[in-house]
Parts: sequence; structure tokens; C-alpha cells
Amino acid sequence: MTAASRRSLLVRNLLVAMTLIGAAGTAGVYFSAARERFWVNWLLWTLFLLTLGLGNLFLVALERLVGAHWSVPMRRVPERIASLIPLAIALLLIGLFGVPVIFPWTYPAAAHNPILVAKAPWLNLPFFAIRLVVCTAVWMLFYAFYVRGSLRQDESKDPAFTVRARRMAPPFMVVFFFTVTILAFDWIAGLEPDWYSDMFGVYLFAGTFISGIAAMVVGVLSLMRRGRLPEVQTKHVYNLGSLGLAFTVFFAYIGFAQYMLIWYANLPEEVIWFKRRIEGAWQPVALLLPLLHFFIPFFLLVGSLGKKHPATLRLAAFSILLGHFVDLYWLIFPVLGPKPLFGWPELAMACFFLSLGSLQVRRAMGHGADMPVGDPLLSRGLEWQL
Amino acid sequence: MSNRTFAVLGLFAEADKIVDAARQIRPRKLGRLEAYTPYPVHGLDRAIGLAPSRLGRLVMLMGVIGACLALLFEWWVSAVDYPLVTGGKPLFSWQAFVPVMFEVTVLFATFTAGLAMLFALNKLPCFGHPVLHSKAIKDITRDRLALSIEATGEAFDAEGARQALLDNGAEAVEIVPVPTWDRPLSLVGLLRTIAAIVAACVVAGAGLFAAEKLIPIVPPMLHMHNQPKLSAFRESAFFADGRGMRPAVAGTVARGHLPPAFATPEEAGTLLSNPLAFTQPVAERGRKVFNDHCAICHGTVGDGVPLLSLAYGGKPGNFLSNEIRARPAGHIFGVLTLGKNAMPSYAADLDENDRWAVVHYIRILQRAQNARDEDLP
Repeated sequence: MTAASRRSLLVRNLLVAMTLIGAAGTAGVYFSAARERFWVNWLLWTLFLLTLGLGNLFLVALERLVGAHWSVPMRRVPERIASLIPLAIALLLIGLFGVPVIFPWTYPAAAHNPILVAKAPWLNLPFFAIRLVVCTAVWMLFYAFYVRGSLRQDESKDPAFTVRARRMAPPFMVVFFFTVTILAFDWIAGLEPDWYSDMFGVYLFAGTFISGIAAMVVGVLSLMRRGRLPEVQTKHVYNLGSLGLAFTVFFAYIGFAQYMLIWYANLPEEVIWFKRRIEGAWQPVALLLPLLHFFIPFFLLVGSLGKKHPATLRLAAFSILLGHFVDLYWLIFPVLGPKPLFGWPELAMACFFLSLGSLQVRRAMGHGADMPVGDPLLSRGLEWQL
Repeated sequence: MSNRTFAVLGLFAEADKIVDAARQIRPRKLGRLEAYTPYPVHGLDRAIGLAPSRLGRLVMLMGVIGACLALLFEWWVSAVDYPLVTGGKPLFSWQAFVPVMFEVTVLFATFTAGLAMLFALNKLPCFGHPVLHSKAIKDITRDRLALSIEATGEAFDAEGARQALLDNGAEAVEIVPVPTWDRPLSLVGLLRTIAAIVAACVVAGAGLFAAEKLIPIVPPMLHMHNQPKLSAFRESAFFADGRGMRPAVAGTVARGHLPPAFATPEEAGTLLSNPLAFTQPVAERGRKVFNDHCAICHGTVGDGVPLLSLAYGGKPGNFLSNEIRARPAGHIFGVLTLGKNAMPSYAADLDENDRWAVVHYIRILQRAQNARDEDLP
């Protein structure tokens, strides 16, 4: 047994142990803390894993759509991180049990709220469940198509799959935007159903995409450090950094646009949502969000050196991932009260979900070769020049 | 053509060969290396020792300056120079400033990128480059890659450079001399150019003017003049009486302008009494109003002797007279409101409080000129 494989086994056992401890803690939260707090935590971490998976599936499809060559040698990484999708979908389906606990439109009082009565044709449990099933089915379908297909191509070396994958990319984009918008409206905006923002679906998409890129950067750099991607060079990583830079700006643009329009119009039912999140005890969290999600990664990546330097790139990626967690926390947790709650229930459930997600991605890291060796575009991707 | 050498050009057929040659020749420090290629060659910039461009840092700097200037300007305009509350928002509403900051950042950054690239880093305008006069330029713009060793001083060894290029795989070598310019920027030429630009502007402007006058199909820039709105004091065919400005509905009263409840000053004297308390600030206000509006005719002490000119034919009232001293306060207020003889109404100039304050002040003047012993301190 080599030192590397011994270390790998140690990490795996550690993760299993953390998952078990986290699971015990999660059970403890369920039986001892408020039920609402349990389900809100469940929702937060499920969405965290789901958005990372969806962001990476989107990256895979985006490469197919635009016919990029540079990202082909690194494509196995997002394909593997996308394996979070089936796990997160299972967690989300369990989360259906929490819907009557945390979603106000399911409360009996909703019948007396004229806004919720008007929204009842959309916000009712059967239709909510149907939407969830349709969305998850779509994601699973495309996950199976892109990831399994790519793995099968390793063996078959069949170039026809590359053509099929490109043809499927445009319809995937369309349904992806619809399903992510539904996810955002149903599972996050629905927590405060009086509130409404057209932009919210795009906002979650922007967060999904940029955190997906960040997760891919972490995955690629970690494989490169282990020497498992010997042919991937600085130029490939540089381009990934450029994509990350562009979409931190996109996220900031969308996030600020949503805030500014609501601030300007100053309509009571819209503004209350932001008032709850940017004043009082939530203000530090609201300030942390642009710092982690925009300013730190932007200034780390804006120069050409930052995109070539692995440590800088990794720092920017972790800043974005932490920012994505803060973003979801800031979106979801204010329903629990005017003060940000962060105690042992949050830590226990974070431990459970993050260890579970890491185990899933580690398991997927063993699937197939580290590069899509069956893809006819691989050699062009390796020869690609900036 | 002079005898001085500008550079030695070596032509290569393949990109790899020129990169290799540049790597070999660069450490020998024969002269400044430059490359001319019909398409971008990867790695050539590093092989000829080109430093990374400073443009990025320049663009960043100017972008930050643009953002700061925009913020500063908006703060000054909205919160300092012309503070105007909009939509109940604070004067310094940073949220509203961000779009402009973003635009100005982009403006400064793109202009810096374009202009600094062209004029500062690429040293344009350059009306003639010596290599354009070489025989090799036709090949360079077609399918050959040229590595050039430029002379950097008098001690340039053209023969050594030629040999170095040939040794490293150059197909052909050409020595490019410094061209002898025929004074490309003479004073006469410059003046001619300026004259031509001025003439072109005059011709174009006059032509456009004439065309718009002669062929009035496209009206000149009058879009703003023709507006389907009513201007003040203009007639309108829309209303039956033809008046553009509409009279107020009968019985309309403007806020703060209730008509007086009396018809004559005498009636006011019986109806009204001074509602203001006799205090120091009221008296001060009365003095200011009196000195600004009344003293010019009635005199500073209110004795009816005008300040302006004795030639004025009127006979202003003497407040110190027994007749006026005996009048009730409401009567004086009534005169101020309605006017009397040559004196116009002051209702439009002074609001009610000011008029009552003047009444108090007139009482002070009357008392001052008719002081009794017990008034002394």
C-alpha cells in the first residue's frame, strides 16, 4: 500500500466518521430543536449541494453548446461533481415533508391572506410536488445523458456521442433555465410568498453557475496537485479563471440590479424582504455577501497572474463557495427571525451534508478516466493555445 | 536611402523556427529584437523578450479613478450643490449612484485601453515604418515570418546580425536602412492640411445649411420647438372661449390666501385685534418689515416725512398724529391689507403675520415719540 493510497483511505474514513457524527447531530436537531429550524437547515444544505451539481452539469452542457475545446481535458471534473445531483434530489424529496412546516402558504392562515389566495393556483401542495417531480426528472435525464454518455464514450470512442451531446445542449439550456427558475421561486422565494421579484430565478441561476465554476476550479486544482491531470496546463486553468471572473461580475450585476430596482420602486410588499435582510442583525451578513461573492474573487482574478497562480485561484474559488453558502443562508434563514441563527444545529447539519457531499464526489472521482479519453475533441483541447 | 542601418531582417518559413531562432539570438544581445508575422505566433512574445503589457494595470487604475470621480461628482451634485429630495430617498443615495459609477468606470477603462494602446504603448501615429520600405514586406504579409534585429546604437554589427540569423535557420536576410524622409511634417504641409480641414468644414456646413433651406423636406433641428402643448398666454382652438390659460373655477381660493373678512379699514378696526403676542422677536420682525416696506414713504420714525424725495407729491400718513394713535390695531391692519388713497394693498407682499408685526412696531414708534416719565428706566 503506497503512502498516497493510505492517505486517501484515511481521508475517506474521516469523512465517513464525520458523516455519521453529522447524521447523529442531525437526528438530535430533529428531536430537540424547533422543527422549523431543522427543515430550514435541511433546505439550505440540500440547495447548496444541488446548486453545485446543477452548476457543473450546466458547465458540461455549455461546453457542448458553444463547442469549446479548451475545457475538454478538464471536463471529467464537472461531470463528477454533477453526481451531487442525484444525492441532492433524494434529499430534496425528503425535504417535501418539511414543506407544511416552513412554507407559510400551506398554513391555515393563508386562506385569509388575499395575496396568497390569488397565488393559490400556483402555490398548492399537489402542483408543488408535480413541479418538483418534473424538474428532478429533467435534471436526472440530462445528468444521465451527459455524464453516463461521456463515461460510455471512454470505452466506445464513438464520435457520434459528441454530436448528439451538442444537439441536446440547446434544449437543455431552455429547460435548465425554466427548472432553475421554478426551483428558486418554489423553494426559496416561496418561504416568504408575499414577496415577488422577476429577477429571482436569474439570481439563483447566477449563483448556481458561479459556484459551479468555483467547485470545478477546486476539483481541477486538487486533481492537478495529485498529478492526475498531467496534461492540463496553466493555459487551461487560466481560461477557467477568466470564466470565473466574468461570472462573478455577472452575479454581482444581477444581485445588485434586483436590489436596486426594489430599493428604487420602494413598494412595501417588495421592500420588506430586503429590509429584513439588510437592517439590524442581518446587516453584517448582507455586507459579507458582496465581499465574498464579488470583491475578493474579482480582485484576485482580475490580473492575468491571479488566474495562472493555483493558490490565488483556489482562494478565489473558496471565497465564492463560502459566499454561495452565505448567499443561501441570507436568502433562507431570515424566515426564522430578526437575528441570524448559527449554533450547534447549523454546525451539525453542515457537517452531515458537507461530508455526505464530499463522499459522493470522492466516489465519483473513481468513475472512468481522469480525462474524457474517448472524446474526439480531447487532442484539440490539449493542443489549444491561448 | 541613407547608409545607416535600421535593422537586419531574417525571413523564416515556419513558426517553430522563428521562435527557436529568437530564443538562440536573444542572449547574444546583438540589438533590439522585433518580429513581423502574418498571424499571431504563440510563445514568440516571450522568445523576443517582450515584457508583459502594462495596459492592464493602466486600465485598472483609470477604471478605479472613473468610479471614484463618478461617486464624488454625484455626491457633490445631489447632496451639496443642488440638494433635492427625490422619492423620499436620502440625498446621498449610493444605490442610485452605482449605475452611473459602473458606466463611468467602463468609459474610463475602455477609453484608456483603446487610446493608451494606440498612442502610448504602440507609439502611433507612425506614418511610415522603415520595414514597410523593405523588399521582404510582401512576403511578411503573405506567408513568411520575419525576425528583425534593430540597431540600438552606432556600434551595431550588421554583418554579425546577418550571420546570426543565417546560422539560426533564416531563409533569406535583408538589411533595412533608415529611410531618408522628405521632411514628412513641413510647416507648409501642416498649414495646408489645417486649411483643407477648415475648408472642408465650411463647405460641408454651408452645403448642409443651403440644402436645408432650399429643400425643406427634412426640417432642421426643430423637433423641440414643435410640441403639441399649450404655451402660456397663447390661444387654443380646443377650448370654446379660445383661451389657452384656463381661469380658475369660481370660488377658488389659493392656500394661505383667504380673502379678508372686511370691506373697509374701519370695519377691520371693529372686527379684528392683533393676534400676535407683543414679544421681542415679533417687534424685531416688525421693524425689519417696516424699514423695508413702509419707511420709504412714512419715514423711519413714522412721522410721514418720506425718505426718498420731498418732491413726491403725496402726503403719507403721520403715525405719530393723534388721529392715527387713536386708531385700533385692526384699522391699521385693514389699511395695510386693502390700501388707502395712493398707498397700494400690501396683502400680496406681506403675509398676515408680517402685517400684524408691523402694527406692533408702529405702536412702538408711537410710544417712543410720546414717551412719559415712567417709561424711563
